[in-house]
Amino acid sequence: MVKIVLFVLLAEAVTVIGQILFKKSANSLERYSLRSNGARIRFLSEIFARPSLWLGFLAIVIGLVIWLIALAQGDLSLVFPIGSLQYIMILFLAHIFLGEKIDKMKFIGTFLVVFGIVLITTTH
Amino acid sequence: MKQNHLTFKIFSLIVLNDLVDTAAQLFMKKGLLHTGIDSVNLSNIAEFAARNASSAFLWLGILVYALNFFIWIVVLYKVDLSIAMPVGSFSYIFIPIFAILFLHEHVNMVRWIGIICIILGIHFVSQSKKPIMKEEKANQWLR
Repeated sequence: MVKIVLFVLLAEAVTVIGQILFKKSANSLERYSLRSNGARIRFLSEIFARPSLWLGFLAIVIGLVIWLIALAQGDLSLVFPIGSLQYIMILFLAHIFLGEKIDKMKFIGTFLVVFGIVLITTTH
Repeated sequence: MKQNHLTFKIFSLIVLNDLVDTAAQLFMKKGLLHTGIDSVNLSNIAEFAARNASSAFLWLGILVYALNFFIWIVVLYKVDLSIAMPVGSFSYIFIPIFAILFLHEHVNMVRWIGIICIILGIHFVSQSKKPIMKEEKANQWLR
């Protein structure tokens, strides 16, 4: 069981790193309004030229594979509640690596979401 | 101009992202159910992969999943990751609702409380109106 918990945590950590890399690539772009097709095309062509985006993809795929291995071996009522910890990881890692603020509303809201997921996924 | 907080438009995009994600998961699940293999282990994993590779539903699911990335990247472009992620937990609500409507599953009281907690949590997170990041840090990322 400890092994499965560690696997899930590893999968979440790698996925969260992928999301942070996605966000980093999105933050590195100029601020387009995305209202015209020209701006949308420039936005997409620029973001796909970012190495951090592709590193993010790689991390997400690796995270998914580890997640599937954990899912295949562990009970859903164990894997999903632990998996919901990724929301807490995002809260703090986005603060550390992206400079996103943690305010009271975000903090309370994130923990409520995690609590809700735990309630939904541990009962039958 | 950059958005400082979650607008209705971006909120709707996140909900759309969750709906598309739910559809992709259902397609993939449907594809995986038709393999005729009950349990996967090291000895039959190659056969499992080979049978799945010919499943149209699985590929449809993967395609929809990939297309969803375009919605997600626009969301990330506009709002904090630490706002987008919790608000994106709508799929935990959609799946039970779809299960009730289409599969006539029973949802017990504890799960209803869980669903209400998630809705409340999303509401709180979406009230967070802090800027995407500090202005100087934002400038640092501009080329």
